[in-house]
Amino acid sequence: MAITKVVMPKLSEAMETGKIIKWLKKEGDRIQGGDILAEIETDKADVEMEAFGAGVLRKILVSAGEKAPVGTLIGVIAEPAEDIAAVLVSAPIPAAAGAGAAGGASARNDTRSAPPAAPAPAPSAPAPAAPAMVPSVSRPAAVSAGAVGIPAPARTAPVTVAAGRVKASPLAKKIAAQTGVDLRLIRGSGPGGRIIRRDVEAATVTVAAAPVAAAPGAAAPVTAPILPGVEYEDRPLSQIRAAIARRMPLSKAPVPHFYVTSEVAMDRAWELREELNALEGQPKISVNDFVVRACALALLKHPGVNASFQGESIRVWHRAHIGIAVALEDGLITPVLRDSHAKSLAQIAVEARDLAERARARKLRATELSGATFSISNLGMYDVAEFSAIINPPEGAILAVGSVRRVAVVDDAGLGVGRRMALTLSCDHRVMDGAMGARFLQDVKRLLEEPLRLLV
Amino acid sequence: MATRNVDVAVVGTGPGGYVAAIRCAQLGLSVAAVEDDRPGGVCLNWGCIPTKALLRNAEVVNLFERAAEFGIRLAGFEANYAEAIQRSRRVADRMSKGVEFLFRKNKITLVPGRGVLKSRDTVEVAGAGGTETIQAKAVILATGSEPKSLPGVPIDEKTVISSNGAVRSERSPKSIVVIGAGAVGVEFADVYAAYGAQVTILEALPRLVPIEDEEVSKELARAFRRRSIEMKTGVKVASVTPGGPGVIVETDAGKVEAEQALMAVGRGAKVTGLGLEALSVRLDRGFVRVSPRMETSVPGVYAIGDMVGPPLLAHKAMAEGVVAAEAIAGRSPRPLDYGNVPACTYCRPQIASVGLTEAKAREAGREVSIGKFPFTANGKAVALGDTEGFVKVVADKASGEILGVHIVGPEATEIIHEFAVGRTLEATLEEIIHTIHAHPTLSEAALEATLGALGQAIHI
Repeated sequence: MAITKVVMPKLSEAMETGKIIKWLKKEGDRIQGGDILAEIETDKADVEMEAFGAGVLRKILVSAGEKAPVGTLIGVIAEPAEDIAAVLVSAPIPAAAGAGAAGGASARNDTRSAPPAAPAPAPSAPAPAAPAMVPSVSRPAAVSAGAVGIPAPARTAPVTVAAGRVKASPLAKKIAAQTGVDLRLIRGSGPGGRIIRRDVEAATVTVAAAPVAAAPGAAAPVTAPILPGVEYEDRPLSQIRAAIARRMPLSKAPVPHFYVTSEVAMDRAWELREELNALEGQPKISVNDFVVRACALALLKHPGVNASFQGESIRVWHRAHIGIAVALEDGLITPVLRDSHAKSLAQIAVEARDLAERARARKLRATELSGATFSISNLGMYDVAEFSAIINPPEGAILAVGSVRRVAVVDDAGLGVGRRMALTLSCDHRVMDGAMGARFLQDVKRLLEEPLRLLV
Repeated sequence: MATRNVDVAVVGTGPGGYVAAIRCAQLGLSVAAVEDDRPGGVCLNWGCIPTKALLRNAEVVNLFERAAEFGIRLAGFEANYAEAIQRSRRVADRMSKGVEFLFRKNKITLVPGRGVLKSRDTVEVAGAGGTETIQAKAVILATGSEPKSLPGVPIDEKTVISSNGAVRSERSPKSIVVIGAGAVGVEFADVYAAYGAQVTILEALPRLVPIEDEEVSKELARAFRRRSIEMKTGVKVASVTPGGPGVIVETDAGKVEAEQALMAVGRGAKVTGLGLEALSVRLDRGFVRVSPRMETSVPGVYAIGDMVGPPLLAHKAMAEGVVAAEAIAGRSPRPLDYGNVPACTYCRPQIASVGLTEAKAREAGREVSIGKFPFTANGKAVALGDTEGFVKVVADKASGEILGVHIVGPEATEIIHEFAVGRTLEATLEEIIHTIHAHPTLSEAALEATLGALGQAIHI
């Protein structure tokens, strides 16, 4: 009979800690593989967590509202007759986690059988069982530990994040699923970079061995009441703000940015959009959808822009996965519209809307948040003339889109009124030069100014 | 004294050597291959291939004996052992000529004679027409192995024979003691028994084919017993002396007399007289020590095949030959996965295995689930009238990793590869069961055993 450990999964490349929003199953519930066990808030989104083993949810170790570092045991699934004391002993929550470094072998595989009869080597069995009963507020330091002060481990470096399908052996996938390892963060050592068993096992040991640092006073975020006479308040960082704060310096400082701006005549695109949106039974298409479509086509033509700096080489992506920045109340996230180049305008409209809606509802899957090869940030709805955006490594460029404004224009006919939109491309100078960025932008401009090209 | 300059000198043209030579040639290297016997080595000439021809004869004889089962009435038949040997020679000749053809096709120079390493880049070949020196940028040693005997028991190839004598002798003994129940021992036991010899197998370990899974050994013993092959396991041979009908074998469990004794107690690497000592090529328990790129302790000198250690199998040698050739050509060859080399024995029922036995898997601390499916429940096997044996799958309980597979039964040696491929791809039980297996085939037993490991077998 197998015991399945439920560990805090690593759901995005930057994720170090997750917060249980709520458990959808309670202790004693029967679990099938694939059941949604809980909703988890990561630094980027809220994600549903699936069960990988079958049995009864015997124990919940991290209650709703609490946080736990990636890899922490948060629950146990086993048959009712199973003795789970040994598993609970190994739970890192009560201090002993540091010892995990030596226990690499036992972390190798999380689903294993209970020892026959004998209830675990630890005589102190009641102690580890206790935390689950104790109301969460009594041990905030323990459960919220880990997020603060731990530098992102090297293996989460974005360069290891592969776009699209992850090449991994079935066995590697299975072990990864059982141990909560995110395959997208692992470099494969098999043929053609395929992730094989030993890669996952190495990663599993690393996760399990990561020390759980105690974060003094990092209690759950509390909104301070606004009191008259108080000069300021310190607002705790939300997960997403903390992630942005952590990552943006890594995006801006090491990446030498340069900017190329161009103004696009949007009159014809505007007309076309109105015509398309007047059609019955067709999805409503936004200006941004036009921009996405134009970029996708231009990226195919200018693969040098659809590229990542790799240190020793430049990786040129053959497919355009476009990240579309979506503003949230407390930050922004960039869901990825995969294979944009292969999608029609209508498809882009439907999928982009779906992504944005689910982003706002925090219902994105982890896979929808990574793997972009290029991004678009559009502040047009805020009446912004133009702005420049920060590249999200390892992408090589990001396009900042301003509002479509009615301006006075001079053309052959004299003075008139036209619709204009500013596009600013931020480029990683290590990947491309000004001329390359300019040629790409020129193509985007041409596609938008001759928008029928976007329909064919 | 003629000197020849090449990129690579290959000493020995058995399955390791000839494959290495061809791969080197494919990679644009000039190759001289040294051989003191016939191209193809023991495998093609005196081992794998001629014995497979003999075992096919044994199978045909057995089918004739069972003709009535198929409603075929024979007015008696005669199985001529000398003709069986002659047939096996024709088969071996044809395969050896095939190697010569491949050498010509790949512009590999065959240098007949005995090669000795004079320095790390010089091989001296003493042939019928004098001595020739080959200067090579790299040398691949592939001299193979030869049958071992027990201490104090000389092999005269008359009353005490080795496999070398057995494949050559056109006379089938009326009685024979086979000493050693590994692959060679049980295969010859099968052949001699089919041709009417009274066969006694002696094995020091407690069971036949001792490196295979225990259940496989049991199944083979059952099949042999039905064919009146005598087996004594866990017995130590004290002496082999002339006497009685030919030879008297004394053991700690009594004596056995027979016309001949076949020594099948294993093979030893051929590492002497090659000049290895002078160059200080490192050995390890009688085998040449090599890196994962098959390079010996002397840079530029590579070694492959039986001489570098177990498993002593032709296909392992071939794979090593490819690794050595690619290493020499500056490629980065993928090192062999020695845990995934299939092992095949061609007695009836055939035996094939890959990976860990159930016992080894448990020893390694794995919690296993076992799936076993007998050929008696397989439609194709029943139609063939060949229902001995089973497929046994040993898997890791938690992950479904295929730890080992053990097949005993019809065409076991063909069925094993789906598991070898699966293991290379790191397939789990799930991928095998989701692969549709054609019906009716013997391979369905592989599917069913895999299902069985998941508790989902359909046909049993």
